[in-house]
Amino acid sequence: MSRLVNAEHLRASYHTPDGREVTAVDGVSVHIDEGEVLGIAGESGSGKSTLGAILSLTARPPLYVDSGSLEIDGQTQALDGSSKIPRTWRGSVVSLLPQGAMNSISPTMRVRDLVVDVMRAHNRSVTKDEALDRARDRLASLDLPTRVLDAYPHQLSGGMKQRTVTIISTLLNPRLLIADEPTSALDVTSQKALIDMLLQMLEQKIMSGVIFITHDLPVLRTVSNRIAVMYAGKIVEVGDAEELTTAPRHPYSAALLSSVLVPEPAYRKMRVYGIPGAPPNLAHPPSGCRFHPRCGLVMDECHTEEPPHVGDQLRFSKCFWALKNPGQSVPLKAVTASSLSETDTVVEDDDDTTSRPDDEPSEVPA
Amino acid sequence: MNFARYLGRKALWYLAALIIALLLNFILPRLIPGNPVDAIVSQLSRGGGTGGDQLKAIHENYMREFGLDKPLWEQFLVYLGQLAQGDLGTSFAQFPASVNTLVAAALPWSIAIQLPAILVGWVLGNILGAIAAFKGGWFDRGAFLPSLFLSSMPPYCLAILLLYIVGVKLQILPIGGAYSFGLSPELSLEFFGDAITYFWLPFWSIVLIFLGGQAVGMRSMAIYENGSDYVNYGRGLGLRDSKIVRYIFRNAMLPQITGLALSISGMIAGALITELVFSYPGIGTLLFNAISQVDYPVIQAITLFITLAVLGANFLMEILYGIIDPRIRASQSGDR
Repeated sequence: MSRLVNAEHLRASYHTPDGREVTAVDGVSVHIDEGEVLGIAGESGSGKSTLGAILSLTARPPLYVDSGSLEIDGQTQALDGSSKIPRTWRGSVVSLLPQGAMNSISPTMRVRDLVVDVMRAHNRSVTKDEALDRARDRLASLDLPTRVLDAYPHQLSGGMKQRTVTIISTLLNPRLLIADEPTSALDVTSQKALIDMLLQMLEQKIMSGVIFITHDLPVLRTVSNRIAVMYAGKIVEVGDAEELTTAPRHPYSAALLSSVLVPEPAYRKMRVYGIPGAPPNLAHPPSGCRFHPRCGLVMDECHTEEPPHVGDQLRFSKCFWALKNPGQSVPLKAVTASSLSETDTVVEDDDDTTSRPDDEPSEVPA
Repeated sequence: MNFARYLGRKALWYLAALIIALLLNFILPRLIPGNPVDAIVSQLSRGGGTGGDQLKAIHENYMREFGLDKPLWEQFLVYLGQLAQGDLGTSFAQFPASVNTLVAAALPWSIAIQLPAILVGWVLGNILGAIAAFKGGWFDRGAFLPSLFLSSMPPYCLAILLLYIVGVKLQILPIGGAYSFGLSPELSLEFFGDAITYFWLPFWSIVLIFLGGQAVGMRSMAIYENGSDYVNYGRGLGLRDSKIVRYIFRNAMLPQITGLALSISGMIAGALITELVFSYPGIGTLLFNAISQVDYPVIQAITLFITLAVLGANFLMEILYGIIDPRIRASQSGDR
């Protein structure tokens, strides 16, 4: 397989009105092979959506990209504002499939108007009929009714709206599709329909790669080839989807997995441990490894030193424990054991439902 | 089509509202204390020389002439009968001038000054507000504060300020009236050139006030829409900024159109204070004089025009809303 995307050294921060900079994505590199789905998992506030905004080239104030470059198919584009990003890259090279398609189409326009506008934004010579024909073919090939083109957004159901938006996002055959929590607002049936459709599109080579951002680990396991786990603005582990979910090599991945309920018999008597504590405020990230205050396997060097990169580009873990125990997976219980005495029956989902420990409210939008 | 049926039903309601308004227009002026004929007769007696019997005869004569000796319901029927023939009656205070002529003489002045003023103010205000919302920063602050100041200023303050500075101190433009003494309204270039100098002051005093309010409203709507999902998605699809701005405009426009319709319907009432300050011979001045002279037919006629304008503008607005926003169209025609 050939390499599709190399995104290197991405760093972006939110500038708060009182002049502080909150770095939401800090030195992240992403690599994707042709035909691959990379899942990105993490709690709210871990920087997943910010990463999505950077890669889909839609970062806008108060979010500023400080450094980073994006290489797709040999074309390289600096993201730090030093060179202007061509408008037509958005939509045709990378395309965004947004979170909550509910309001993604202006309420006063028909779907077909947006289809025509999108096609003509990239090629002025496209006629209205050509644009609509293309959308109709696309809809038909994915077994969707073509009448959605004549509808206003409020006339479509949530699931249909999300699938329609997916069609529009991929109209121009983007090389990379960035799907930012596309399934989060949908019921399980619509989630499955959308995921099946995405995989079908990938098979038809409508797009060459997908970055799928979600906090929903079971969904990620079904949709992605590889999974990247983000914590506090950094990718802490990347690995093959099956391998990462069964044998994680970073304590945070293990903790994240232990807080997911799966409706299978084996889980009936299992205890959901959850992750003690709350994600750090990114305005003042912890020193050393950012997970160390919540980690059950914490060592001395974790407090002060940046954790090492263990593994290669496509499969790595950033952890001192992984460095000392090569090839081993993190024992689930060990991760959370140390703090279990204080917070005994913690059952929390992987989303951030607890309040932050420090008094300062977080300035970072999810 | 369902929407047409909806509009038909609405039209019936508007008709009912019109009939009630006609009744009120008729009764309310008659509740003003004082009899118009008393005022006219006391005016005559002031000159002296006329005896009590003569005055009484004159009084009765006027009462009969104006139809005020008949019971109220009969007067109303007579009024409706005249109205059906397009006759608005005869003015009491400027007897025997017909109300039709009085209104016809005043209305063009009011419309000529206000329709352009409202349209110019609306268009400029909305553009200014939208640009301020997009640019932000210094441009925003520079445009927003004066707009807020203008919109919260009472109309007569600005009118008097303009009058004093431009008309009295600088003496650039004439301070009152609609055209120079000695000319009479006609369609000639000479008359137009003269009238336009009288036009600017009241025109700008209306434009500036209206522009401020529209800019403030549009700015906050556009800021709100600018942060919405479809803007971000449109950018993610590589749409041109101008295209996205058009989406935002369409969505931010609805409350602004309400404002426009209400102003245009209010226009018939005349910019009363502005017209008085500049002694402009429009409907506002006519209404003001009619009320002070208890001139029933003139008051009735003007309030009737106001009623028609308000109802008409609201009806148009309802159609326009349906065209702009599909969700309103759907709920109006009972789709959901």
